[in-house]
Amino acid sequence: MTVVATAGPIADAIAAGELPGRVWLYSNYHCNLACSYCLTESSPRSERRQLTPELMLGVAGEAAALGFTGLGVTGGEPMLLAWLPDTIASMAEHLPVVVLTNGTLFVGDRIKRARPLARDGVAVQISLDSHLSDVNDMARGPDNFAKVVEAVPQLIALGVRVRIATTTAGPLDDPALEPLKELVLSLGVAPEDHLVRPIVRRGRADERGLGVAAVARDIPSELTITADGAYWGSFGPTVRAGRLDTDLLITRTVLPLSVPANALLSAVRGLPPGNDANLGIR
Amino acid sequence: MSDDVAMARVELLDVANAPISAEAYFDGGDPGPIVAALASVPELLGPTLGFVGAALGDGAAASRHKEFAILRTSVLQGCRYCVTAHTAVSLDAGLDVAEIRALRGDVSIESAFHDERERALIGWIDAMAGATGPVPDDVWTSAREHWPAHVLVELSVTIGATMFLNRFATGFELPTSPDVETRLASAGLT
Repeated sequence: MTVVATAGPIADAIAAGELPGRVWLYSNYHCNLACSYCLTESSPRSERRQLTPELMLGVAGEAAALGFTGLGVTGGEPMLLAWLPDTIASMAEHLPVVVLTNGTLFVGDRIKRARPLARDGVAVQISLDSHLSDVNDMARGPDNFAKVVEAVPQLIALGVRVRIATTTAGPLDDPALEPLKELVLSLGVAPEDHLVRPIVRRGRADERGLGVAAVARDIPSELTITADGAYWGSFGPTVRAGRLDTDLLITRTVLPLSVPANALLSAVRGLPPGNDANLGIR
Repeated sequence: MSDDVAMARVELLDVANAPISAEAYFDGGDPGPIVAALASVPELLGPTLGFVGAALGDGAAASRHKEFAILRTSVLQGCRYCVTAHTAVSLDAGLDVAEIRALRGDVSIESAFHDERERALIGWIDAMAGATGPVPDDVWTSAREHWPAHVLVELSVTIGATMFLNRFATGFELPTSPDVETRLASAGLT
């Protein structure tokens, strides 16, 4: 385990609440699904914009040394990358990692691929939007619901910590979410590991007029690393009409990580506080 | 997206697409195609514009002589964008139409410049920007007879920055502002 920095400009900014502690990595942009509200317009045909395992491990090590406190991996569908589970396990030697996945690639025999994720410091966050399969699958694709409810208990049985993320167009405290919360609990996921968040109006959601509009000040300023550079927040490197958004681009330089980290800190200090807490964007 | 985007070989970012770390460059509206192109690598904006601004801006050399270096270098490097833009800037710096025509190569230098100092300077600029290898001894000696070394050092940096801009603008086919085209047409300098 890397020694996490407790002093230095980034560590100090995180301790003071100026910067969030997590660094996100977009491992890839392609996906086996094509969800209606996808921020990155991901689909099987998307340009991959893929990180290498070496770069991801480099980010993990440098993030710990700078004083960041956690890592997140998202996409696209990260589990389309065969090497990813082993890389996640290695990254967790440095900092705790949460990996976001649609969960559909863990069904049947493929559950064995998740074995490296069954360890301390790793959580797998799976998307599930409704307790009704047809409602869930309308946004996320055919058979998504069935595959998720099959995969979650198997992952937990394997020893993997599972979180569920629900993305909703409605209020975050909508009573209509209660049956879903009961379903999630019945799958073996603790209530504190069930995250409900709004659709953010970027990417495909913007094209379809879905979700909450958010400007930079509304989006948590988590350092986000992609194959195209470093961004302000995991909601930054979105794709709309085939074009990678640049409005939340911080720098094209990703390593050494101190370069984008310091550039992000400068940008944060140059902006007034935002509305991320009220909008529930996370 | 700027209206000019279809003409350039790289995307020219506008205020809606400007990186958050480059917003200040877009505060005054359209920052022009060089900044709009460079903004796709926002970490280079500050250092590049700082260097270019210092190299092309006020210094020991008079603005008139800086424009000699910029316009002549742009002509020798075949940069249509910079020639057009700095034809307009040269007018602002007080050069007359005949001088500009001469620097642009339309007529001889001798026909428009009668000051020996300025002819020596233009000869040295040509040797710096239009050739490879050392500056010939006679060109250097003539330049040094009339100009202190520090001015030539300063103008060498102006020439170098201009050559960078020449390749940037020409390689990416940056579009000339219609306002500049109109102004030059009215001065008979298209």
